[in-house]
Amino acid sequence: METSNRAPATGTRRSRLLAAVAATALAAPLALPSAAQAQDDTIVIARDMDLNSLDPSRAWCDTCQIYLTAAYDQLVRVGPDNKSLVPRLAASWEVSEDGLSYTFRLDPAATFSDGSPVEAKDVKFSLERLKNLKAGASFMVEGISSIETPDAKTVVVKLSAPDPEFLGKVSSPYGAIMNADVVSEHGGSAAADADSADQAEGWLLENSAGSGAFVLESYRPDDELRLAANPNYWREAPDAATIVMRESQDAVAQMQMLQSGGADIAMQVDPDTAEIAAAQGVTTELVPSYNFLYVALSPGAAGLEVPLSPKVREAIGLAIDYEGVLEFTTGGAADLIAAPVPNGFPGTDDLPMPKQDVEKARALLEEEGVGGGFSMVAAYPEMNIYGVDLTTMMQKIQQDLTKVNIELDLQPVTFAVWRDRVGGEHIPMTAVFFAPDYYGSGQYANYFSMVPGSPWYARAGGEEAEGLLNTRSQELMEQVRTAAPEEAPALYREMALEMIRDRVIIPLVNPKLVLAYRDNVEGVRYAVCCNLPLEELSKN
Amino acid sequence: MIASPRLRIPTFGLSGGTLPVALGLLVIAFWVIAAATVQFWPLDPPLDMVARRLQPPSAEHWLGTDALGRDVLSRTLHGARFSIPIAVLVVVAAALIGSLLGALSGFFGGILGAAVMRLVDVTLAFPPILLAMAVAASLGPGLENAAIAMVVVWWPLYARLMRAQVLEVREREHVEAAVAAGAGPFRTLFVHVLPLCWTPVMVNATMDFGQVVLLAASLSFIGLGATPPTPEWGAMISDGARSFYHWWIAFGPGLAIFVVVLGFNFVGDGLRDLLDPRTD
Repeated sequence: METSNRAPATGTRRSRLLAAVAATALAAPLALPSAAQAQDDTIVIARDMDLNSLDPSRAWCDTCQIYLTAAYDQLVRVGPDNKSLVPRLAASWEVSEDGLSYTFRLDPAATFSDGSPVEAKDVKFSLERLKNLKAGASFMVEGISSIETPDAKTVVVKLSAPDPEFLGKVSSPYGAIMNADVVSEHGGSAAADADSADQAEGWLLENSAGSGAFVLESYRPDDELRLAANPNYWREAPDAATIVMRESQDAVAQMQMLQSGGADIAMQVDPDTAEIAAAQGVTTELVPSYNFLYVALSPGAAGLEVPLSPKVREAIGLAIDYEGVLEFTTGGAADLIAAPVPNGFPGTDDLPMPKQDVEKARALLEEEGVGGGFSMVAAYPEMNIYGVDLTTMMQKIQQDLTKVNIELDLQPVTFAVWRDRVGGEHIPMTAVFFAPDYYGSGQYANYFSMVPGSPWYARAGGEEAEGLLNTRSQELMEQVRTAAPEEAPALYREMALEMIRDRVIIPLVNPKLVLAYRDNVEGVRYAVCCNLPLEELSKN
Repeated sequence: MIASPRLRIPTFGLSGGTLPVALGLLVIAFWVIAAATVQFWPLDPPLDMVARRLQPPSAEHWLGTDALGRDVLSRTLHGARFSIPIAVLVVVAAALIGSLLGALSGFFGGILGAAVMRLVDVTLAFPPILLAMAVAASLGPGLENAAIAMVVVWWPLYARLMRAQVLEVREREHVEAAVAAGAGPFRTLFVHVLPLCWTPVMVNATMDFGQVVLLAASLSFIGLGATPPTPEWGAMISDGARSFYHWWIAFGPGLAIFVVVLGFNFVGDGLRDLLDPRTD
């Protein structure tokens, strides 16, 4: 997802004043060995938490993914290879011939943190509540037409149309299974009117009701999230007795907490900081991630000086120095990305990587009669995400486009302002980011294709501008629904090529992720499901 | 009596009072000349990116390079093109607006005078940085808007100062004589009163140049002033804060702000000593 309820403040200048004050305040407690240091079974994680909710059906953020896979279990999970699905609450599952019916058999051993067994009614309640709350992640289960519970340990989910990625969707953190009795008792509702009737969010901010390795001990917004090991955990107990996620807004502050021992793991250190601040006792690794940053062009934006025709969009794409962008944003700790689908996802093998060709770009602009140049607004959220500073990235793009006489008027804005503008008047050129919610390319086709209903079709002004609709993408998305699993990658590949041809989304950077942790911590890895699987962490 | 040994600092014939003034003038002269002519200096263009990003200071890049490989020294010197004119513009505009309103308020009094002074009170009740932030945020980012915001914050100081001066001067005998001789109110104000009120405004204005440079940089630092890629000092320090361990990125503009503010303060102090009859 790209959605961040509150802009992670790492890069925003306004927050830096606060950060400076906080850094001064931090200096004092860090001088003393903190309680966390003394206890070997407590792991402290420094992170800029972007939590919008702790309610599994309302949450929608990167930190939510971590929490929802620690305190809750899903029916299935993405395995350690970050691709294949492995059993979790569902010990086994079957898909009907027509792809419309999924039968899950629950693990008989599975229990919630209060000791009660995980039953079919809990699955039904959780998935229906997610759907009916109509929140950020509800689209994952939109295709469900009904859920049947023939017995306490069997769930049959019926879909209204085949969806080859349905299992992927329920494996996402938002497919968390809640204890239906407990949540109902505290105002929870899964009925069709749940979006107005449900009152459980407040209670879920103070308690968890899952079967995961940890339970929520306390949550103080903008301060810390404290998890304790689940005493009734039904799988192998986690090593850590307590995990504390502590709010720390920028890479430098996180690195300093790591060096002083105030934190065991820092989650948002950028490659430059990691390189220069290397310290004894601290391990930093660069690992490939599925995150990416892109710029997007909106032909339907208000106030365009020159129409963003296909040729103008192609010229803009050709004017960008892609290798240079990687170098300037991450010092080279990143990969190129061809289409708005992460490298390594189905259908991305051998996609043609973008290349700079200034001569051709100039010729295209000349053909369109705008070779003399024009200027264009480029508004983007001012933030530092996955180690990339958007202001740095956009200044590089600005510089590249001057070579074809296009002048960018850079406007860094807050995330909230950006969201309003991109949805309202639309922004001629913008920059933003995306991280997967599960392993599968369908989420990208749904998000970035120029088809009615996709968020970027709306943001690019598909309703206002002529010729943005891509009927081939529509056909392909329809085809993949009923295609055999082995045919899907070829179809996704074609969808990716269509998205490249649309020239609305120009992917730029697939940054490597920095894992920074103290040497005595083990089990730190990047997981597609959940960023950081907390149950695998240990400390000696 | 044996004189205690004293460290002697060469003063080049300048007394302890005038040395800082001379230093200040030198510094200001340097930055004013830089602001006017830096385009023609043999420097890297301030917006040119090179592959050598985040380089520490070296013979080639005296103050290193930033995250986009731009020469920090070049950008710092180019920063004068923004900070110095803005400081002049804001101080002159605030002094003119404030003095005029203050003078009218002091000379005529009445409802107009009271209204102006209450507006002054209201404006001064806000912490300057907060008011400037609020005005700049509502106008949108950009140096022009930041300048407007600073004028809004600054004029009341001059209004209050000028009003106090006018209240005192208008009671003097020569003013009464002018009125008795038939001078109209505006002639009296502009010819007989105002020329005697300028001194404190001048001194204050000189001191304020430095403060305006500082406030402009603060607004840019929090993202309400210069927009990228403008090499404005506050914006550059903000870039530097993002790459905290690469200290040189913030060092250049930080040093520039420090030197400029100090220079204006020295000159302002000297000017006050020179013009204010109450000091020795």
